[in-house]
Amino acid sequence: MSVVLSVRDVVKTFGPVRAVDGISFTVQRGTITGLLGRNGAGKTTTIRMITGVFFPDAGSIEWLGSERDARDRIGYLPEERGLYRQMKVKEHLLFLAEIKGCRGSSVAPSAERWLKRFELWDKRDAKVEELSKGNQQKVQLIGTLLHDPDLIILDEPQSGLDPVNMLLVRDLLRELKEEGRTILLSTHMMAEAERMADDIILIHKGKIVLSGGLDEVRNSFGRNTLQIDYEGDGAFLEQLPQVKRAMIVNNGAELSLIDGADPQQILEATMGRLRIRRFELAAPSLEEIFIEQVGAETMESIR
Amino acid sequence: MSKMLAVIKREYLQAVRKKMFIFMTLFFPVLMAALFIVPSLMVAKGLGGKKVAVIDGTGALRDSFAHHIEPAAPDPKKALSGGNRGQLPQSLDVEYADAHGQSDLVKTSKPYLDRLYLDKKSENGLDAVLVIPSNAFEGSDARMIFYSRSSTDLFTQERLASVANRSIQRQRLTGRGIDPNVVDTLTREVPFDSVQLSRSGQQKKGSEANFIIGFIFAALLIIPSFIYGLETMRGIVQEKSERIVEVLISSMSPRQLLTGKILGVAAVGLTQVTVWLSLIAAVGAFGAASALMAGFDISQFLRPIVFVYFALFFILGYLTFVCIYAIAGAACNTDKEAQQLVAPIQMVMMLPWFIMFAIITNPDSPLSVALSLAPVYGPITMFVRTLVSEPPVWHILLSIAVSIATIAVFFYVTAKIFRVGILSYGKRPTIPELWRWTKVA
Repeated sequence: MSVVLSVRDVVKTFGPVRAVDGISFTVQRGTITGLLGRNGAGKTTTIRMITGVFFPDAGSIEWLGSERDARDRIGYLPEERGLYRQMKVKEHLLFLAEIKGCRGSSVAPSAERWLKRFELWDKRDAKVEELSKGNQQKVQLIGTLLHDPDLIILDEPQSGLDPVNMLLVRDLLRELKEEGRTILLSTHMMAEAERMADDIILIHKGKIVLSGGLDEVRNSFGRNTLQIDYEGDGAFLEQLPQVKRAMIVNNGAELSLIDGADPQQILEATMGRLRIRRFELAAPSLEEIFIEQVGAETMESIR
Repeated sequence: MSKMLAVIKREYLQAVRKKMFIFMTLFFPVLMAALFIVPSLMVAKGLGGKKVAVIDGTGALRDSFAHHIEPAAPDPKKALSGGNRGQLPQSLDVEYADAHGQSDLVKTSKPYLDRLYLDKKSENGLDAVLVIPSNAFEGSDARMIFYSRSSTDLFTQERLASVANRSIQRQRLTGRGIDPNVVDTLTREVPFDSVQLSRSGQQKKGSEANFIIGFIFAALLIIPSFIYGLETMRGIVQEKSERIVEVLISSMSPRQLLTGKILGVAAVGLTQVTVWLSLIAAVGAFGAASALMAGFDISQFLRPIVFVYFALFFILGYLTFVCIYAIAGAACNTDKEAQQLVAPIQMVMMLPWFIMFAIITNPDSPLSVALSLAPVYGPITMFVRTLVSEPPVWHILLSIAVSIATIAVFFYVTAKIFRVGILSYGKRPTIPELWRWTKVA
C-alpha cells in the first residue's frame, strides 16, 4: 500500500483557540479512513487545511504519488451544502468539474450517468433550490466525483439523507474503494465509521487520541465488552458491580466490564430475570471506545 | 486559467439571465429618458393650463386680459432651448372682473378668493387671483396682489405680472396721447437665444436640454454601478453563507476566484453598455424620433465622441464600485451586515450625484475639475464634464489613469481581504480589522 497524503504536525489556531494542535497521520491509497470526533473536535479544520482552504500555522501537508495539482486531486464534499441555489442541476455539476480543471463537455457523459444512477436525471434542468435537501446532497456528492479525484474527502456525507439514500451512499463508497480510490470520511456517527472504515483517526480537542486500523484499535481494548440480546427489562444490568458502563437499548445491551470481571457472574445475575438470546464477549464497539476515550470526562461534566 | 474562465462564464450567465439585467438593459434608458423628458414636455405642452381671476380696480385693462392668454412661447422647442426663461408655454384661462369704482377691493375679491379653495377640477375652481389696485396708473405706492394656493406657482405669477405690467405701461403711454401702435412697436421685447461656445468651435444651443441629458447620462452611468455592485456583494455573501466558497477555494486560489468574478461582472456591464449604445444608435438612425418628440435636435447636444467616453467611464466607474462592494461582501456574513457596512461608504461614493447640478452648470470650476481627477469620483464627474463641456485632453487622460490605478489598488486590497474574510464566519470586522487583514494575507 502506498501513501497518498501525509499530514505532519499541523497546527491551526483561531485567536486563543487551538482548533488543531499538532496532528499527524497518513492516508493509504485505496482505503477508507474515518476521521472521528465530536462536533468541534477539529475535524473540519483539519479537512479545510488538507483542501487548501486554510493554511496551517505550522506543520506540513504533503501529497504523494502524482504530479497533478493537489487541489484538483481532491473531491471535497463540505459538511454543509455548498451549491448555488439559482443554478440548474446539470449546469452546476459541469461548473464544479470545470473549476477542477476539467472541460465541461468531457464530463457531461459521466454527469449523465451519475444523475441517472441517483434518480436525478429528470431534474437535470431544475434549479438547485427546487430540490429536496437529500437530493441537493446527492448533487453535491456527484459534484465531488466528476473530475475523477484521487482522494475523496467527505465531511458528514450522510447528514440529511433518508435510510434509502444512506444505503445508496454506503454502496457508493464501497464501490469507489474497490475502484482503488482513497476516501477520507469525517463523521461523528460511530456506527457508520465502524461499517465503512479501514483505518480510524480519533480527534479530541484538536489532538489525535487514537489512530490505526479499525480491528487493531478495537482489539487493543481487549475483549472486555459484553454484548447481550434479550427479552425483558434489562435496566438492572447497569447496576451490576462488574459493569463499568452500560449502553442499554431495546432488548439489547453493551456492557463494558471492570478489569478482572468474570462474565460468568453477569450471566448468572441475568438468570430468571431476562430471557437471553445472545451472550457474547467481544472487542468494544467504536462507539464504546469513543466514549471511553473522549466521552467519559464530558459525561462527568454534564452530570 | 480555465478555472477562472469557468467562474467568469458562471458569473456572466447567471447575471444576464436575471430579470433585473433584462429590465436594466432594455427599459432603464427609456425609463430615465421618460423620467426627465416627460415632465418638461408636460410643462411645455401646457398641460398645466391654469384658471385665474383678475380683479381690475382700474377697469381699463379688459382688453389685455382677453378670455384666454395663449402661451407666450407656443413652440416647445423654444421653451426648452431656454430663450425665454420663465415663459414656458402655459395657457391661462382668465376670468376678468371689472372692479372700477368699487371702494373696497378686498370685499369685491372675497368671493373669488373663496373659489381658490374649491376642487381644482370643479367648474368654478380657481388656481390664482390677481388683484390690481384702482390707483395702478398713477399711485407710486400701488401694489398688485397675487393669491394662489401654491406659493411655488412661479410661472403663473410671473406671466400674470408681466401681462399686467405691460398692459399698465401701455395704458399709461396711450393715456399721454401716444398712438397704441407706436407704443407696441416701442415696447416690443426682443427674445434671446443662449449659445455655448466650445473649444472645437462648434456652437451648442440650450442649457436646459444639456441639463436633462447630463442627468440622464449620469444616471445611466451611476445607477447600474450601484445595482450590480450590490448584486456582486450579495453574491459573495451568499457564497459565504451557503459555504459554496469552501468548494471554490478548495479548487482555486482566492485571487483567481476574485479575478474571475470581477471580470465576469465587468463583462455583464460591457454587454449592458453595448446594448444601450446600440439602442441609442438605432434610435438615432431611426430619425431621432425621440428627439423630435422632445422638440429638439439631439445631435446639437451630443457629440459622437461622448459615446466612446460613456463606455470608457462606465467601465471604469463600474469596476471601482464593484471592488468596493466585493470588499464589503467578503467582510460580512449576512446581507444586512454588508448593507450596514456599505451604507456610509455608498453615501460618500454618491457625492458627485448629489452635486450633479453644480457640476453640470459649472463643468470647468475648480470643484468639478478636482472631482473629475479624483479616485472613485473621477469616472462620473469626468464623463459629465465631457458631456456638457470640452475639458482639456490631459484632464481626460489623467482621469483615466487615476481610475485605472484606483481599480488596481482596490483589486489588490480586495483580494487580500477576500482571502481572510471569505472564510471568517465570526462577527463583522471593523475597519481597522479589515486593514490588518490586508497585511496578514
